[in-house]
Amino acid sequence: MIDIQFLGLINATLQAATLLFIAALGELIAEKSGVLNLGVEGMISIGAVSGFITAINTENLFLSILVGIVSASLFSSIHAFVTVVLKQDQTVSGLILTILGLSLSSLIGKKYVGKKLNTKLEGVFDIENPSNIIEIILGQNIIFYIAIILMIVTAFVLKRTMFGRRIEAVGEDLKSADSMGLKIGKTQFIATCVGGAFAGLSGVYLTLSYVPYWTDGMTSGRGWIALALVIFGGWKPYRTAFGALLFGFLEALGPRLQTYGFEMSPYIVKITPYVITILVLIVLTIIKNGNTGAPKNIGIPFFRENR
Amino acid sequence: MNKFILSKKLYRNELATFYSFLIGFLIAIIVGSIILLIQSKNPFDVFSLMLKLSIGSVNSLSNSLNKAIPLILAGLGIAIINSVKLWNIGAEGQIFFGAIALNFVYINTSIENSYLYIFLLLASGFIGGSVCILLPALSKVLFGVNEIITTLLTNYIVFGLTIYLINGVWKDPNSLNFPAAAYVSESVYLPTVFGKLSSGFLICILFTLIAYYIKDKSVFGYEMRIAGGSALTAIYAGISAKQKAFIAMLIGGGFAGLAGAIELLSQTHRVSTGISQGFGYTAIIVAAITGMRPLGIFLVGSLFGALAIGGSVIQTIGVSSYISEIIQATTLFGALIAQFFFSYEIKRVEDD
Repeated sequence: MIDIQFLGLINATLQAATLLFIAALGELIAEKSGVLNLGVEGMISIGAVSGFITAINTENLFLSILVGIVSASLFSSIHAFVTVVLKQDQTVSGLILTILGLSLSSLIGKKYVGKKLNTKLEGVFDIENPSNIIEIILGQNIIFYIAIILMIVTAFVLKRTMFGRRIEAVGEDLKSADSMGLKIGKTQFIATCVGGAFAGLSGVYLTLSYVPYWTDGMTSGRGWIALALVIFGGWKPYRTAFGALLFGFLEALGPRLQTYGFEMSPYIVKITPYVITILVLIVLTIIKNGNTGAPKNIGIPFFRENR
Repeated sequence: MNKFILSKKLYRNELATFYSFLIGFLIAIIVGSIILLIQSKNPFDVFSLMLKLSIGSVNSLSNSLNKAIPLILAGLGIAIINSVKLWNIGAEGQIFFGAIALNFVYINTSIENSYLYIFLLLASGFIGGSVCILLPALSKVLFGVNEIITTLLTNYIVFGLTIYLINGVWKDPNSLNFPAAAYVSESVYLPTVFGKLSSGFLICILFTLIAYYIKDKSVFGYEMRIAGGSALTAIYAGISAKQKAFIAMLIGGGFAGLAGAIELLSQTHRVSTGISQGFGYTAIIVAAITGMRPLGIFLVGSLFGALAIGGSVIQTIGVSSYISEIIQATTLFGALIAQFFFSYEIKRVEDD
């Protein structure tokens, strides 16, 4: 007999992990191609608000998911254009993408603050009062399953397909990739926009299922934790998924500590995920002796010198 | 057949950064106008009202410059840290922590001479900012932990800490609906110099010059640039890159902490969530758009201060204040686009 509290913890873990994982996986793809995109927080926010607005107005959840994905992907193309086509600094562009994404989504979503969704993403299998872990997993909604599929597909595409090898070649050795005739700009542009699409899906999950409502700044740093997750996962999809479960567990555990007999101020509980993320990053970097396995060309704009 | 190739310009216009900023600002105004038109507001009316209420009178001008103080100081801190090619995304948290450190010292000390006391309080704000960046700085130089993520995450930690303090041990029992710490005594308020302009602006001018000296004129600044530029050169020159990075981060964090201290002593007069309204993030734009130049940061910071004031006043006619933030961010994107044309040229060549 497993108690209800524990099942609640598992359920919350899976949900928090899904949200973080999808965004991290998208960033992983972009970074694999050598494009660092610090705009994850902004892209999630854009996906979250556009998906939510579509859901309020149309009550069509499939369309809402699609709108969230497409708008975040379009939004990430600003970063792709500025850094890949115009070869400007990736750090600056990504940071501004976050700032712009947060303020733009606040502007768009202003009228929708406090509105309630009539339709929310329900579990794929209709399970009432789950009594074991398998039923908890089966009770997750469609985006949870999409996340699992994306994990397998991304791992496969990166390792086993031409497109994936091309991304890796571009991210690891620009000059060789260029001399092999690979279209570097195109590869990086696509990888960045795919990353944006993933962040958009993560945002839709936030407003259509995880919370579900819209308010300013509701992404509350999850995009940054996703960025840390990519480092934690060593740029590998399965390890990133494991990291997402770990971080998700810690996020879910915080508010429940009291029920397990720990007295803690709710304000302090709120900051634990950020403290833990920093500590994990430090421990990880020490263990790996500073070499976290990042793609070699990350952050370096490609420019072919005159010949 | 013709082919287009990209080549780096040999000579880059010295004023390229300035022109890029102007072009970026123009693009941002156009984007802002489009957003206003979508909301069926007349952009001309909105912008002229913003202009009038941000620089149209002595009062509004001093409001704008007061708003510029934290943007400039935090921006300078970011620029100093960028000398060693590191990023400080944690200015927002350092501003709050500067205010927290100030309040901590204020509660536990008492000095008769108010000038001396103000000096001590401002210094504790500066030190608070340095303390706030200590963990990211140590983990960067000792283990190589990515400072962008650690400094950013400290923002959330410090903001959480602020909320914890003002709802708990520091909660002012007289402030019922809006959690905040108790007000500091009027004797330690920063005096105003002109209209409503706080003397914090004079401190701001002083620190702009200090930052300019540290970055561009001092031996330390030179060593920072070498340390940030090439690890090998630094070794040959006998410069400890890690030491320079560490000191740069502490100074830069201190600048943002000082901003928080000034904000407390001149605007809020107590620790509350209103100590910073995203100043630390806007400061990143200010620093980046000027190519990390202290004097440029002073000018753009002042302009963005006016924009922020303009943004807050147009709410009265039903326009969202986010329009200012969008203009600020879009200015930088526009400037980046313009930078491209100053750095590269597109040549047409005959294909054989």
